[in-house]
Amino acid sequence: MSEDRIPDTPIFDRARQQRGYRLNKMAMGLGKPENRAAFKADERAYLDRFCLTEEEIGAVMRRDWREMVRLGGNVFYILKISAIDPARMTEIGAHQAGMDHETFLRERLGKV
Amino acid sequence: MAKLIGGLGSSHVPSIGAALDKGLSQNADWKPFFDGTVAGQDWVKAHKPDVAVVVFNDHGNAFFLDKVPTFAVGCAERYEPIDEGWGPRAIPAFEGHAAFGWHLADSLVENRFDPMIVQEIEVDHGMQVPMELFFGRPETAWPVKVVPLFVNVIQYPIPLPARCYELGHALRKAIESFPGDERFVVIGTGGLSHQLQGARAGFINPEADREFLVDIAANPAKLAALTRQDYVRLYGSEGAEMMMWLVMRGAMDEAVRVHHTHYHVPASMTGAAMMVLENVAG
Repeated sequence: MSEDRIPDTPIFDRARQQRGYRLNKMAMGLGKPENRAAFKADERAYLDRFCLTEEEIGAVMRRDWREMVRLGGNVFYILKISAIDPARMTEIGAHQAGMDHETFLRERLGKV
Repeated sequence: MAKLIGGLGSSHVPSIGAALDKGLSQNADWKPFFDGTVAGQDWVKAHKPDVAVVVFNDHGNAFFLDKVPTFAVGCAERYEPIDEGWGPRAIPAFEGHAAFGWHLADSLVENRFDPMIVQEIEVDHGMQVPMELFFGRPETAWPVKVVPLFVNVIQYPIPLPARCYELGHALRKAIESFPGDERFVVIGTGGLSHQLQGARAGFINPEADREFLVDIAANPAKLAALTRQDYVRLYGSEGAEMMMWLVMRGAMDEAVRVHHTHYHVPASMTGAAMMVLENVAG
């Protein structure tokens, strides 16, 4: 994967996009209610439809947002997982920043 | 011929739509943001546009990575709100303007822009939220026809800011060569600063945002001359979408009057803004 030219800032370039294609395709599927039902009923079986690696499956099942992004997941796709297993955008942000939610809101977003 | 009566700018943060859905617009977190949008709604009510060209990006809802158009023009008669994972939002479908969409495609190609032509597509928060902010949420029907103009700002290579500005010039030519007397607005959407991915997630830059809001009116050439990397550095990886405001600005005259500017930070993880520009020459 190419080096980030701005530190800690993944650019969704060719390398990252190709790395994450299947992961993002899996997540894109969750825009359809029947796929959300399948994900809820048997998450592993739904994930197995997309030829994901064990590493990718593990990241999804642990809701490890930072790892999903590292593996080429793009937030606009993987965010659909949070529609099924609710997580706020700020929680997903805090996880990637390596901060607890309160600290993230205060230090990054200036919330008091 | 048709006439461009105003250039509008708006964030399209999904949590703004969610706040409206949940009836939270008057709570302590959201009231300061929504209060600043009233002046934009008042302008629209007073000026009664017939058509809104909405410049936005799809967020992995209607387009997947299998097909990524850099620019795409909506030529449909109707656009339904899309299911982004939570089910489609309870807002009316948008009435399209296929005749202008086709005219725009013709006119862009003649001016050396070559967009994808789209006749069936559903639209996500990128278009929904700015429409709700300017037109309110109607019970049954929106008061304007819409023409979606999609820009890829997700999958690299995304276009150059300068190209977005030039697209605006071409859009203006299309509007002013469209037969009839319909009154158009162009809505540039997105931003302001935000980053949703990587360890720099949560990056916001209010100072740069405020400067952007000044420059977009007074010195758009400066913003058009910045690189994509400048946008990512200044506004965050997702804030780079702010280049879509340049399409709106490029459609306007060089001399504009700022009727309204509003900035509030943060809306979710984003600097949120609204703007109304008028041509000085009318």
